[in-house]
This record gives sequence, C-alpha cells and structure tokens, in this order.
Amino acid sequence: MGTRDPSIPLQVPEEIAGLLSRRDILRRASVLSLGGLVLSALPAADRILAAVQPAEAAVNLADATLQAVADTLIPGRLASITDLGHEIHPKAIAGAHHEPGAVETDALALFHNPLIGFDALEPAFLTEVETRSLLRGGQFLDLPFAKRVAVAVDGLDPNNPSIVVWEAAIAVAFTSFMSAATQRNATIDTASGYQVMGYPGTAPNGYAEYSYRRKLSREVTSNGSLP
Amino acid sequence: MPERVDICIVGSGFGGSISAYRLAELYRAAGESPSVMVLERGRRHKHTDFRQSMDIENLSSIYGLVQGQGAQIVVGDGVGGGSNFYLAASLRSPRETFERRDRHPDDGPARRVWPSQLSRATLDPYYARVEAALRVQRPTWKQVAKSGGLWAKTLNSAGHSCDRVPLAIDLDRCIQAKWCHTGCIYGAKNSVITNYLAAAEQLGVQVRPNSQAELITQSTARPYRYVVNFSEIDNDGDDATRQPTGREFQIECKVLILSAGAMGNAPLLMRSRPALPSLSSQTGKHLGINGDHIAAVEYDEAKVRDVLALPGYGQIYKGNHITTMTYDFWTDKPGNAGDGKRFTLQEIYLSPLAHTLYDDGRDPAGSPSFFGLQKKEGLSTFNNHIEILAMVEDTHDGEFIAPPPSGSHVRPNAGPLGVGPFTYELSAQSVAVREAADAAIRTVVQRSGLARFMKLTFRNAFASHPLGGCRMAESKDHGVVDHRNEVFDNEGLFCIDSSAVPTSLGVNPSLTISAVSERAVAQLIDRAADYGLPAKPPGFAPGRPGVSLGPHTTPVRRSSDDAIDAKVRSYA
Repeated sequence: MGTRDPSIPLQVPEEIAGLLSRRDILRRASVLSLGGLVLSALPAADRILAAVQPAEAAVNLADATLQAVADTLIPGRLASITDLGHEIHPKAIAGAHHEPGAVETDALALFHNPLIGFDALEPAFLTEVETRSLLRGGQFLDLPFAKRVAVAVDGLDPNNPSIVVWEAAIAVAFTSFMSAATQRNATIDTASGYQVMGYPGTAPNGYAEYSYRRKLSREVTSNGSLP
Repeated sequence: MPERVDICIVGSGFGGSISAYRLAELYRAAGESPSVMVLERGRRHKHTDFRQSMDIENLSSIYGLVQGQGAQIVVGDGVGGGSNFYLAASLRSPRETFERRDRHPDDGPARRVWPSQLSRATLDPYYARVEAALRVQRPTWKQVAKSGGLWAKTLNSAGHSCDRVPLAIDLDRCIQAKWCHTGCIYGAKNSVITNYLAAAEQLGVQVRPNSQAELITQSTARPYRYVVNFSEIDNDGDDATRQPTGREFQIECKVLILSAGAMGNAPLLMRSRPALPSLSSQTGKHLGINGDHIAAVEYDEAKVRDVLALPGYGQIYKGNHITTMTYDFWTDKPGNAGDGKRFTLQEIYLSPLAHTLYDDGRDPAGSPSFFGLQKKEGLSTFNNHIEILAMVEDTHDGEFIAPPPSGSHVRPNAGPLGVGPFTYELSAQSVAVREAADAAIRTVVQRSGLARFMKLTFRNAFASHPLGGCRMAESKDHGVVDHRNEVFDNEGLFCIDSSAVPTSLGVNPSLTISAVSERAVAQLIDRAADYGLPAKPPGFAPGRPGVSLGPHTTPVRRSSDDAIDAKVRSYA
C-alpha cells in the first residue's frame, strides 16, 4: 500500500488506494474470475431486476449507465445537456471534477455510432458492469464515484477475462473527449473537451506565431541526417 | 477473360507510386504508352476532400486502426496510401542501421540482417532522388515549431545536441496548423498524390481506386505470369459500407508489384500460397513497427521561463508536427557492439487523441492514473505537453498468423476499427531498449524540475510505421524477397514497399522505404526486357516528377495569433 498526502480527500476505497497505475495493476494477481463474480452476484441481481420496471430498465438505464461509465473514465462537472444538446441522465455524472467530462462531449452518441460498433458489445458490457457493481453495493448508477472507480479498476484489470469490453469502452470515452469525434470540424467554441485541453481544434488559417524563431541547440549534422 | 496489362501494381503509397512513375518513364522513353495498372483498395482523395477534423466519419474514410494480438497499427486508406497522412519527416537512415547484426532470438544464425548489396552508401543516390521528388527541405530555426524548439532547448540545457528535421513540406505554402494527420487541405505536404502518382497518371498510368486485391495465381499464358483477383470496395458516399460489393475482377500481368504495405502484402501472399508454393517459409514473419515508442512530457510553464529562458509555451498545437530530434543516444554506441541499444528521440505531435496513451502518478493520490481524475488533470495541461517518439533498435517481433478471407484485416463495419490476424510480443531486447529510451527522456526533462515524464500506459505496441512481413534477405531461408525486392523463386513478382524493410530504421521510415523502392524499380528497369517489358533505351535517366496539386484552395494564414491565444486562455 502506497502512502498518500492526508490533505487530499481519498477518492477511492482503501482496498484499491495502492493501485497507482496500470503498471501496478499488471503486477497484481486476479482476485476473482468473472464466472465467480456472476455466481456470487446472482441473488442480488434477481432482487434488483425484480424491483425495476422492465421497460425503464431496458432503455433508460442502459444509456444512463453508459453515461455513468464515461463519467468514471473521464470525470466531469454536473450538467444536464451535452455539447450536441442531448439529455444527460440526472444520475449519470457524479460531479467529481469541476470541468466538463466525457459525458458532456457526447460519449453516449459515440457509443451508439454505427461506425464504432459498440452496440454489439453493449449487452455483454452492461452485464459485466452491473455484475461487478452489485459486489460494490448496488447498480452502477447508484454507486458513489469512488465505488464506480473501483468497478472500473476491476474491469480493466488485465486478469479480467472480459477486459476487452472495458478497453472498448475506455477507447470510446477518450475518443469522444479528446477528438470531439461526434462533431464535424470541431473547435474550442463547440467542443468542451477541447476547452478543457486548451486546444483550438480546426485551424484553416493556421498560426503566425508558431516558432521561437531562434537557434536553440547545438547540432551535429549538416543536413539533418546522420551519415 | 482477364484484363491484361504488362505491369500490375497493388497499392498506391510510396512504393507503388514510385514504381508506377519510374515504369511510366521507361515506357515513354521507349516510345510506348505505359501498360501499367495500379489497384488501390481505398477511395481517391483530393486536397479539397481532406478536413481538419477528427470526427468519426472523417476518420473512417481515411484511416484503419488494426487491432492485433499485442499491437494496434494505424494504416492509411486511399489513393496515395499512408503518404496522405504521414507527418513528412524525411530522414536518411544512419549508416549503422544497414550494418546491424542483432536480431530476434529465434531469427537464425549471426549475420548482417540487410542483404550485402544495401548500405547507406549504396542507397545515398536513391535517397537523393527521392528528396528531389518530394522537395525535402530542412526548416530554418525560424521555422521550427515551439514544441520542437522547446525540445531542442531542453536537450541543450542538459548538455545534449538537437538537430532540425528535414521535411517533405512546401514551407511557403504550409500554414503551420499541425493538421497533417488528416491530410493537408492545401496540398502543402508533398504526399505522392502531388508528385510521383500525379506524374505517373499524366504519363498514362491507370489508377483504379476501390479495388482490393484478394488472390494471386500463376498464369500459364507466357509472357504473362500472374493473375490478380480483386474485389470492388464500396467506399464512396455518406453511406459507404467499405466492404466488398460482390463484384470481382481479374487482371493478368507480366510483372506484379505488391505495394500494399507491411499490413497488406503478407496476408495477400499467404492467402495465395496454394498457387505460389515456392514462397519462402518466412512469409508473414518479422513484422516490425520501426522501433516506435512514444511518451509525453508535461512542462511547468514557469520553469520554461526561468530555467530555459523561453517566453512561455502552452502552444503544442502550433507549427509542424516534427521539427527536431537528437542523435546523442545513437552516436554514443558505435559499431556492432552498439547494435540493439541505439535510439533517437524526436519531438512529434501525433494528435490530441494520442494523449490517451500517457499517464503518470499525480494527485489525487490513490486514484488510478490511466483514467479518472488523474487522467483528467493530465489532459487539462495538454497544451503544455510535448510528445517524444523514440525510434529504437528493436527486433521485428510480430507475425501474421493466417490471412483473413478477404483483404488484409477484418473490418466489421464501415468504421475505422479492424481486427488483424497477427501477434506482436516484444522481445527482451525490444523491451530493454525502450526502457533505456524512457530513462533517457526522464533524465533530460526532469532536470531542474522542468517537466514531468509521462510514460506510455500500455506496453502493447501502438504504431503507425509497420515494416516487414516480406523482408529482404540474402537467402530464402531468412527472407521473402532478394536485394532487388523480387520474391525468391517467383520471377516477376515483387514486394516494393515497407514490407521488404528488415529492421527498424532509427528515423521515420518513409524516405528509406522510398529510396529502397527507387533502387528496386531501377534494378527492374535494367532488366525490363527479360520480363517482356520495353527494353531500357540507351541513355535512359530517371527524371524528377513535377508538382501537381490538383483541385485545391489557396491558403490564407492569419497575421496574428492574438485572438486565438486569448480565446484559449479564456477557457483555461
């Protein structure tokens, strides 16, 4: 277990506080196989499914959960609509960060974009998410941010046999945020991810002040290439 | 009855376009119209088709991201191949590259990996030929991007040298927007659609887009040697499926040149093996990624001013993608004793999305670093980052397992993501030299608390420079093609492109791929009559392709950045 600055609020449960990076995760042995998780979570799953209206669960919860996953991967401020004007489920964003996160950048629209193809993975992914969530105390949407992070850390553990669906999900959330992938010719005025990054986006007139305009190092070649 | 041409070229990137142009010159010098057909899987792009946008529709029309087991490899899609999307760094590989004797542990006896006929000295005339065609020029220091200048100054302050990188860019036309990666909207970048391929078409070469080679068989109708089966691909329009339409065609040719790249040639040959039984057993092996290894650096802007005496930074997005690199970690390991340990460190800007790939440990402590709050904090400093591409001397660690039923990889829908039938597992040498590169970057940038080093999150290889799979070698035991790029024991069948390159290169590979291609096609022209092509006329000399931009718009550069700089600051 690593040490931490006590002045910084702990964001995740103690049992994963030592997992500082993926490289640490690589060294960590798996705790449970997905099969074991499914078996241990079945009773709780039955209880939850019995308590949820089927129609609502079939549509709204799925999209809301995808938004919540995106918010866990790139957390953001509380918001009600996305850059493209789509609705954000009120429980999706945990509000763990003060600037826009992946949900505002229309990660959900990208999840459902046929050029991505995530729809084919969605049922398996949501089953994976909810199964792991139940072990943390409830449906993913109802978990506090720290426990959502714990679910994602477990899902992205290299020893998780279902890691591929998590890797697909993280790729979608990151692409939405960093590439403004749902917007044609996005700029810093239209893409909240670009605003966070300080990136102007499309620049058909380029830049005038792009260079320090002076020699900044000794060179060893006469033409840029070594002999 | 198949359509007949003398020469069929599969693929229109550097290798295919150079072959097409040089062979067209031969036909014209011989007083004939070129009987040369270029098949290209992708669609045709004009400069006015390119957009400065990373939206998923745009990415789907220009790129493929091929996921294999252990690696993700980016490939360009379209007439002009990867040249439309390369970042135009145009460097000759150092002398040591061609003399290397290190290799993968199971890669045969100790030997020089490149065939003896190829060296820096023998390639220099061909490098010069390519540099002339691609109008390579070295930027002045006044043309070096701030990101590149910052890397140069950082190295200099740590006692290292740093050189400017020659570029295949018309720097008078370039607007310094750092959008080469989705195709230059003005044609300032010298991709082959502005020179070699455009000139080849002007000489009479036929280019057939949306045509994916599927199978090669041998012809019995001499002087024709090969028949290529190819599929029509639905690439055009908003609802393009980017899949075969079901329409199939055949071309019969005397000479067949495979230029579908490292990701394309090996699967095609492997699928055709029943009709080409004398193919080397090495086909599909030794796939490499040019030793690519990336990392990022996050600067403390106050330290940029105080330690480096530069007027701040915060502008990663301005200037050319690549402008500076150091050779200090190359030249300090001379001779074969240094083989497998050398690397270069180049400042590069890939795209904002590349910042998916880096992480480090930062506040808030206790949270994971590769997603979540730490990742968000790292992204919020994006415009104070630079990216570093280490090009290391690794061993080509990949291998194609089996060809897919069609094309080079399985594309499940019209999007950019595909699944490739290959594995990639870094050897101990490949890991060690990458770790050495990381250590060197870390030491340089963390001096005086100047910056923090952001390591590549995933050890899986991520690359845009695939090489090999049909590598050249002295003998069939060790490679697929000979020093002239002709497939061993298959007369008239060539691999002229990145697939023939047997080692990582220490520099961005486009110029070396092109120089080797120039050499290969020159050798082919010397023996053209042997293949039933027009004989090389006395006094024949290769020329320089003209520049032809095609439909384009005239760039207008802003006169001052004050407004955009203020806007970026307003969101900070």
